[in-house]
Amino acid sequence: MVDLSTILAGFGDAFSLFNLAFVLFGVVLGQFVGAVPGIGPIMAMAIAIPFTFGLDPLPAIAFLVGVNKGGLVGGAVPAVLMNTPGTPDAAATAMDGYPMAKQGKPLKATKMALFSSVTGDTFSDIVLITVSAPLAILALKMGPIEVVALIVFAFSILAGLIGNSLTKGIIAAALGLLAASVGQDPENFTPRLIFGYWDLFDGLALPSVAIGMLAISEILHRLSEAHGNMRPAIVAKDTGNPDDRRVTWAEYWSCRYTMLRGATIGTILGALPGIGSTAAAFMSYAMTKASSKDPGSFGKGNIQGIAASESANSAVVGANLIPLLTLGIPGSVGAALIISAFMIHGMQPGPLLFENQGRLVYGLFGAMIMANFINLWVGQLGLRLWVKVVSAPESIIFSSALLLCFVGVSMATSGLFGVAIMLIFAVIGYLMASFGYSLVIFIIAFFLGPRFEKSIAQSLALTNGDLTQVLKSPVAVALLVLSVVSVVWFLRKNAQEDAE
Amino acid sequence: MSTLADRISGLFFLLFGLAMYLWINPNFIETVDSRNIAPSTLPNIVSIVIAASGAFLTLKPTQHQVRNPILMAKTGLYVGLLTAGIYAMSWFGFEYVAPVLALAIMWLIGERRPLWLGLGVVAMPAIIWFLVTQVLGRALP
Repeated sequence: MVDLSTILAGFGDAFSLFNLAFVLFGVVLGQFVGAVPGIGPIMAMAIAIPFTFGLDPLPAIAFLVGVNKGGLVGGAVPAVLMNTPGTPDAAATAMDGYPMAKQGKPLKATKMALFSSVTGDTFSDIVLITVSAPLAILALKMGPIEVVALIVFAFSILAGLIGNSLTKGIIAAALGLLAASVGQDPENFTPRLIFGYWDLFDGLALPSVAIGMLAISEILHRLSEAHGNMRPAIVAKDTGNPDDRRVTWAEYWSCRYTMLRGATIGTILGALPGIGSTAAAFMSYAMTKASSKDPGSFGKGNIQGIAASESANSAVVGANLIPLLTLGIPGSVGAALIISAFMIHGMQPGPLLFENQGRLVYGLFGAMIMANFINLWVGQLGLRLWVKVVSAPESIIFSSALLLCFVGVSMATSGLFGVAIMLIFAVIGYLMASFGYSLVIFIIAFFLGPRFEKSIAQSLALTNGDLTQVLKSPVAVALLVLSVVSVVWFLRKNAQEDAE
Repeated sequence: MSTLADRISGLFFLLFGLAMYLWINPNFIETVDSRNIAPSTLPNIVSIVIAASGAFLTLKPTQHQVRNPILMAKTGLYVGLLTAGIYAMSWFGFEYVAPVLALAIMWLIGERRPLWLGLGVVAMPAIIWFLVTQVLGRALP
C-alpha cells in the first residue's frame, strides 16, 4: 500500500512548473496533430518518444500523455467543422457535430465536443486513480470466451445505427468483415485475399480504410458540389444569438447522463485490452440515440450526440492505463507507446510499480489531471482559431486536406501503397453513401473483425470445440443475453420510428 | 425517391457475394489443414450473407434518393485526378507532384484568385514539406 506522503510528493512533482510546461507542450502538439486528418496523436507520440530520451521520466511521460489527450480533442475539430474526422475515434462526433456546424453553430458544437471530452477524460482518470487495481483484476479474468461475447455485444449495438433498412445494415457489416479478412489468417497464418500484393499480408491498414471512407469520400462529395463560387469550407453564419456561440450551463447539465454513460462505456472498454476508443464512441452514440425521447433528431445536430461520442472516446485514454500500470498489459497502441516510454526510462509496469515507483505513478496521475485542465484552456483558445481557419475558401481547405491525408496515411502505412488503398476505400465509401449504406457500420465491423475471429479461434482451441463451455462463464452468458436483448430492443425502436 | 437504386445495389451485391463465394474465395485463399477455423470460413460466411442480403434487397427494396449522376461523374473526374497524382508521386515524389495536384484541384473547383492559388499551390506544400522532413524528420511519399 502506498503511503500518503508518497502520494502527496507525487502530486507535488506533477504540479511543478517544469512538468506543467511539458504537459502544455504535449497538449498543444496533440490538439494540432489530432486536427490534421491522417496524422493523429498515435503517430505524434511515436515520433515524440525519441525526443523524450533526454528528459526525466515524469516530464517525458506527462508530455506523451498530453499529446494523447490533446489529440483526441483535436480529432473532433475537423469532424465537426468539415465532416472529415481527424482520427477514427471522432467519426461518431461528426454525425451530429457537422450538421450543427452547418446550422451556424460551429463554435457551440466544437465547445460541446471539448467539454464532453474533458468530462469523460476526467471521469476515467478519477476511476484510474481510485479503483485501478480491482478493475485490472476483473479485466484479467476476461478470457477469449468472454472477449468473444463482448465483441458479439459490440456488434449487437450496431443494430442501433442501422437506420431505415436492416438489409443494408447487414450488408455494410458483412462488407466490413470481408475487408477485415484480407491479410493473414489469424489462426493458420496463411495469406488470404491478398491477390499477390504482399503489402496486404498484414491486412488493410485502419488509417487507410478509415481516412479513405470517412474523410476522403466526404471531400470528394464536397468537391463535386463546388460550382466555382468560392465558398468557405464551412459557412459560419452569425445567427445573432450569442447562445449559438457558446454552451450554456443548462445545455451542459442536460447532457450529464449522456456524458456519464459515455464515460462509463469508455472506461469499461478502455480497461479491456484491444477494444479501443472508436468502438466506445459508437456504442455510446447508439445507446444515447436509442434511449432518447427524440431519436429522430440524431444525425441532424443533436448536442447529445456530440456529448455521447466525445465523452466515451476520451474516457478510453485514462482507462487504457489501468491494465498497463497494474498488470503491465497495454490496452491500446497509445498505451503500448507509453509502456515503451516507461521501459526506456528504466521502469517496469506491473503489480510492483506502485510499490517501487509510487511517487512517479502518482506524479503521472497528477499530470493527467492537469492535462485535462490544460486541454480545456488550450481548446477554448484553439477552437476559435480552427473556426477561422476553416472559414477560408473550400478550394484551399480541400486541396490542403487531401495533401495532408496523402502524407499522413503514407507515414502511417509506410508508403504510397497505403495511399492507394485509401483512395480505393474513398471510392467505395462514396458509392456506399450514395446508395444509402452506413459507412460507420462498415468501419466498426472492419475494426472488430480480426479480434472477433482471433478470439473465436482461441475459444475453440481452449474448449476443444465444445461450445457448451460458454455456458460455464457467467460473464459470457450475461453478455450474450444482453446482446440478444439489445438487438431486439434496437430493432423494435427502429420499427417504431419508421411507423411514426 | 424510388426503389431503383436499391434494386441496382441489391443485384450488385447478389452477384458480388456469389462471385466471392464461388470464384474469388476458392482461388485466392490458401487451403490448409486447419485446427479450428479454416481460413476460408469467415470470408465464405460473409459472402453468403452479402449474396442473400443482396437478393433480399432486390426483391424488397426501400425508397432511396441516390446522388445526382452528374455529381457522381464529377467525382469520377476528381478520383481520376487523384489516381494520376498518386501514380506521379511514385515516380517523381511529393515535392514535385503536390503543387501540380493542388493547382489542378483548385482550378477544377473554380479558384482563380492569385493569392489563394499561391497559398494552396506553393505555401501549403512547402509547409507540409517543412513539417514532415525538417521538424518530424520523416520522408515524404
